[in-house]
Amino acid sequence: MAENYLMNNSSFRNRIISLIVVLVLITGWELLSISFNSRQILPGPVDTIRSLFGIIEKPAFLSSLGITIFRGLIGFLIAFVFAVLIGIPSGLNSGIEAGFKPILITIRSTPVVAIILLALIWFHVEQVPVFIGFLTMFPILTINITQGIRETDSGLIQMAHLYQIGKPRILRDIYWPSILPFLFSGISTSVGFGWRSVIIGEVLSQPRYGIGSMMQNAQSYLLVSEVIAWTLIAILVGAAFELLIRWVEKRSITWKR
Amino acid sequence: MSLKLENISKSFGQRQILDGFTLDFKAGSITCLFGPSGCGKTTLLNLIGGITSPDSGQLIGFGEEGISCIFQETRILPWKTVLGNVMFPLLDKMPEDLAYETARKFIRLVGLQEEEMMYPSQLSGGMKQRVSIARAFAFPSKLILMDEAFQNLDNKLKYNILDSFLEIWKEDCRTVIFVTHDIDEAIRLGQHIIFLNHTPLKIVKSVATADETSESINKIANVLYVLNK
Repeated sequence: MAENYLMNNSSFRNRIISLIVVLVLITGWELLSISFNSRQILPGPVDTIRSLFGIIEKPAFLSSLGITIFRGLIGFLIAFVFAVLIGIPSGLNSGIEAGFKPILITIRSTPVVAIILLALIWFHVEQVPVFIGFLTMFPILTINITQGIRETDSGLIQMAHLYQIGKPRILRDIYWPSILPFLFSGISTSVGFGWRSVIIGEVLSQPRYGIGSMMQNAQSYLLVSEVIAWTLIAILVGAAFELLIRWVEKRSITWKR
Repeated sequence: MSLKLENISKSFGQRQILDGFTLDFKAGSITCLFGPSGCGKTTLLNLIGGITSPDSGQLIGFGEEGISCIFQETRILPWKTVLGNVMFPLLDKMPEDLAYETARKFIRLVGLQEEEMMYPSQLSGGMKQRVSIARAFAFPSKLILMDEAFQNLDNKLKYNILDSFLEIWKEDCRTVIFVTHDIDEAIRLGQHIIFLNHTPLKIVKSVATADETSESINKIANVLYVLNK
């Protein structure tokens, strides 16, 4: 009990510290913007909040937010399907892994912007952000799934062979639960990167709606407070995804207490 | 029916573990393979289980119907409950409702009926070993293999579990082959003890526990121990 109390106490203290830092930063931002003397170029937090509410009231807000999330989701789903189809065989067979390795490394080390420039030539503007999201998330998910398969307890596999358990059930009941922790960590990382890439894709490809498109529009009219407000929206949505992933993970991995 | 290893040879790289090894097992009884660690007992068990195959020689009568096994590290699935673990190998062999009934029966026999819906992370080491015993007996095999299965348990718990093992074994007297280097465990559980020494693996002596006193068996074990010192 006492230990529990102490732990709660220190986590409470840490929260207070974080909160104070956030308040100091916001105050500093406001002071800086006042001293800079141009609300247009460096708006303060108050201007930003005002812009934020202005954005939320516009009908383009929901379309932009919704379509960006939709693009990210489609990119994620395609990446996930490919990652499962390639990651599982790669984990089971090092030859297959060696075959895909150069492709994954190339995708991972190519700058996103280079891919976007090419994608703009090859695809319709609506497809560019989806493609970029897919390319960002696919290698991370694949590598995590491969690692999860490889780190599956070989003793359990041996046990299953002795008990003459068929391949489909070994995959479903031994490999799949073993890779879940790796999979969730991969999802969390890839969604973090993927979300940002989709927005970069939108900024550069300029589809009609989308968080990135709105940021690009605001930037071209020098509406700095609107750029920051859209940034805030992007951060909040990213954080919401992270929470959602943790929530699903907790519900999927029930056996660890 | 007899279970037989005939003229088996097996080497790993330069190391010859088995060289023309022959051994008969009596079906329907419990045979203990006793010997110093590293002598090749586990290789023998892996050959019987089909995990490794021999370089030459024949295995006769093993494993057509599947083999039950009890390992030292229990090898139960962390993401399945006690019931789920015991049912796991049964589902390919029988309809689900029969698998359920069978699993519950053996869970009751090992005394885990209260823990049926618990996950392994909520169980003690001894309880986990009971789950793997229930799984082994519930599986419709003709042969049970055990590799140092009780080594990690303290003595009181070990004897307790060995007694329940014997109790369940009496139900259908399946062939059991187990490996240990604990002579007390060998005497308590084994009807036949085969003393082994290396390398390559050879049979030093084979005794039926019913015909010997535990003192004389202990003496053989001691001689084997001194030989390997």
